[in-house]
Amino acid sequence: MKKLSVLLTILLVIGGILPLTAQDMLPYPSEMTECEVDLTGETINIFHFGDLSGPYAFITQPIVSAVTDAVNYWNSHGGVCGAEVAQVYEDTGGSREAAQSAYDRFTSTYGDDLDLLLLYSSDDGELLREQLAEDEIVSYIAAGSIESLYGEDGQTPGWLYASNPLYINQFGFFCQFVAGSPEIFPDPVIAFVTWPGAFGLAGTEPAAREYCGGLGVEVLAEPQIFLPTDTDILTQVQNAIDGGANILYTNSLATGPALLAGTLVDLGMEDDIKLAGVNWVMDTSVGILGQRVLKPNGLPSTDGMFGSMPFLWWTELTHPAVQFVTQQFQLNERGPAEQNIAYLVSWGVVDSILETTVRAVNAVGSLDAVSGAAIRETAEAMDYAVLGGLYQHSFEEGMRDGKMNRVAVLKYANNTMSGPATGPEDAMLIDDGAGGQLFVPIVVPLTGFLEVPQLRG
Amino acid sequence: MTEFINRNRRHLTWALYAAAGVLLLLFIGDQLAGLKAARIVQTLISGLLVGGVYGLVALGIVVINKASGVFNFAHGWMMVVGGMIFWSFFTVSEISLLGAGLLAAATMLMILTTVSYRNLLERRNLAIALGGTAALTLLMTIGGIEWRWLHALSGTFAGAILTGLAVERFTIRPLIGQPLFTAVLMTLAVAEVLHGVTQIAWGTVELNLPVFVDPETNSRFRPIRLEAFDGLAIVRVELVIAFILALVAFIGFILFFRYTSVGLAMRATSEDQQLAQSVGLRVRVILAITWAVAAFLASIAGVLQGGAVGLSLNISFVALRVFPAVLLGGLESITGALVGGIIIGIVEQFGTLINSSEQAGTNLAPYVVLMLVLVIRPDGLFGEKRIERI
Repeated sequence: MKKLSVLLTILLVIGGILPLTAQDMLPYPSEMTECEVDLTGETINIFHFGDLSGPYAFITQPIVSAVTDAVNYWNSHGGVCGAEVAQVYEDTGGSREAAQSAYDRFTSTYGDDLDLLLLYSSDDGELLREQLAEDEIVSYIAAGSIESLYGEDGQTPGWLYASNPLYINQFGFFCQFVAGSPEIFPDPVIAFVTWPGAFGLAGTEPAAREYCGGLGVEVLAEPQIFLPTDTDILTQVQNAIDGGANILYTNSLATGPALLAGTLVDLGMEDDIKLAGVNWVMDTSVGILGQRVLKPNGLPSTDGMFGSMPFLWWTELTHPAVQFVTQQFQLNERGPAEQNIAYLVSWGVVDSILETTVRAVNAVGSLDAVSGAAIRETAEAMDYAVLGGLYQHSFEEGMRDGKMNRVAVLKYANNTMSGPATGPEDAMLIDDGAGGQLFVPIVVPLTGFLEVPQLRG
Repeated sequence: MTEFINRNRRHLTWALYAAAGVLLLLFIGDQLAGLKAARIVQTLISGLLVGGVYGLVALGIVVINKASGVFNFAHGWMMVVGGMIFWSFFTVSEISLLGAGLLAAATMLMILTTVSYRNLLERRNLAIALGGTAALTLLMTIGGIEWRWLHALSGTFAGAILTGLAVERFTIRPLIGQPLFTAVLMTLAVAEVLHGVTQIAWGTVELNLPVFVDPETNSRFRPIRLEAFDGLAIVRVELVIAFILALVAFIGFILFFRYTSVGLAMRATSEDQQLAQSVGLRVRVILAITWAVAAFLASIAGVLQGGAVGLSLNISFVALRVFPAVLLGGLESITGALVGGIIIGIVEQFGTLINSSEQAGTNLAPYVVLMLVLVIRPDGLFGEKRIERI
């Protein structure tokens, strides 16, 4: 309990200590389309499955919590157009076979009622791409690979829609930022030090290298690969540095970026080499795990890590969407480790699913009449600020991934929570419940929302 | 020509392997030629230290195999459970007296009933159980946060013993006398059960386990920097600690198996359980001790791995990476576990040095080395040569 209360303190600090009483419940941040059809007595199911107990579980597990909280929220507010909201989900443990079984089970059990499915991973997206198209089921996913969203040729939009930009586009966007910031990145040379697999190696394609090269940013052709179970990646990091890199870019999660940052400190190169990565490196888990190693200036090793931020973040509390999700998180007494990307974005995905469903029902006249094709048509016609602006749902002209992104930097809050700390002296430090102290990670956007380059070829 | 080949088949095979080995060495030499000596030294150090952790994990697998002939596929999940138990005690300032008491009582109950549940009917045994429970509970809860190492170590000890004994009692013991393959399959089932239990008890989130933290700086111990060979070599203190612990465990186990009656009984049991039972050895007790010891070794490895990179369900996969080390060293060899672990650690690091982009270090090199060794020594470097008469 002590541990929980301590980490809840982090949440409260990050959350700006919102006063919560029954009297000042925050309103839902987006105005959902008005219902033209009464759905009283019916049920809108949110279908989802993915890895909740395998290698990616530590980041995906809060998806269930977020969907549960969102479903409870809607049901306690009279449902959606009078319909009860429910969720149907399954854990696949990261196995392709289990994902296929779950899909088969869902389609055979729910038949025509299954028109919209939430997926978590690029691998599942690639596996089910053709089947989704054949069965005319739309899938919303946070971040898909080129193959899952656009097919092997990269030119055939399917039935999956990703809220985040493709990883390769995120990388191209970062190159733009690097090229435009010579004061931070003089003579930039980027090396990938990354996890293996479709996720880890996204952005290492020749098209990305050519694009960045055209901007004056060299990208080393050989990625340095490490595994989530590695304890020592000095060899990979030194390979990259010997290759001439002064920026290390990673597509990894939680311990991955933290290990990379710690290794740079071990080498004494934390000031010479910059670190950056895909949107997941900005997650709270990285901010906490990065504190295992402190830089000589006393700040955590991950202080100053750059990353993509294609949606609003927990610290952007001036926005009603973040205020609302933060309040719901607290009301539902969620554990601090769940205050991550998955929880925040899943509230957005549920909002997006419900908005799509309501619009589709309005268009066809009843919930029963809604088909996958109707959902698809609706999804593509929508230009919708999810949760009033958490991110934008917009898939015009055959787009299947998010097109807006920001570059942000991971920092640690100062003791007045007015900005980043410059050292341990002015940093916000809280008791970790075990005799130590914790810095409070914050994410500072460095750009506004801008369009990403399209690099899928 | 055919006759020549037939007559010299064995020598020709060896010559081919030798040629392949020389070519491999030439290739590696060529790849390393352009590198600074310091990089090679660094790679060697990293490989050695990482290999020490592999050796410790391998030791747990070998101990079970040596005593029971079972290849334990659940070892990775026993690491996770041990690491999580340690975390639960280490990072909490106020330990629940009830929770600690229940853990201690369950552990003592399992210990006392190893031979028979009837043991509990004896007043003396009940007194031991109560005394042991009280002592363990005290160790787990005494003092404040400044005693957390004691809390965590005693809690992990109790948790590991409980896990090991429970696995043996409820899954392996019923299979005594059955084909070994059944028991091996059972360990796969145990792995899934432990996976589920871990997930329910601790969730799936990544946990920070600050065991290698310098209290003065509140940061991980600063690595040792060696300036040598016209460069810098980094030696990470936590990996050195893991390596030393591995060495201590190895020496302890070698002495244990060679010079103690329990160790000798374990070796006898591994040869033939039914024969061992017929000469009066208590196979049940021996197997129970073995599983408890292996669970404790797994817990230590889990804590070291979790302390080095963070605790998550992913650390169970370390055991998969260790399988080549176990086979390389020889399934029943304690020395082989250490040597195999170190060789695989070094091979992985050099594979990564030469070609990291294709994961040569983790996906290819250990298995090439394993193949080469098994061709020459089918029982592993230190495995027992078995002759089957037919």
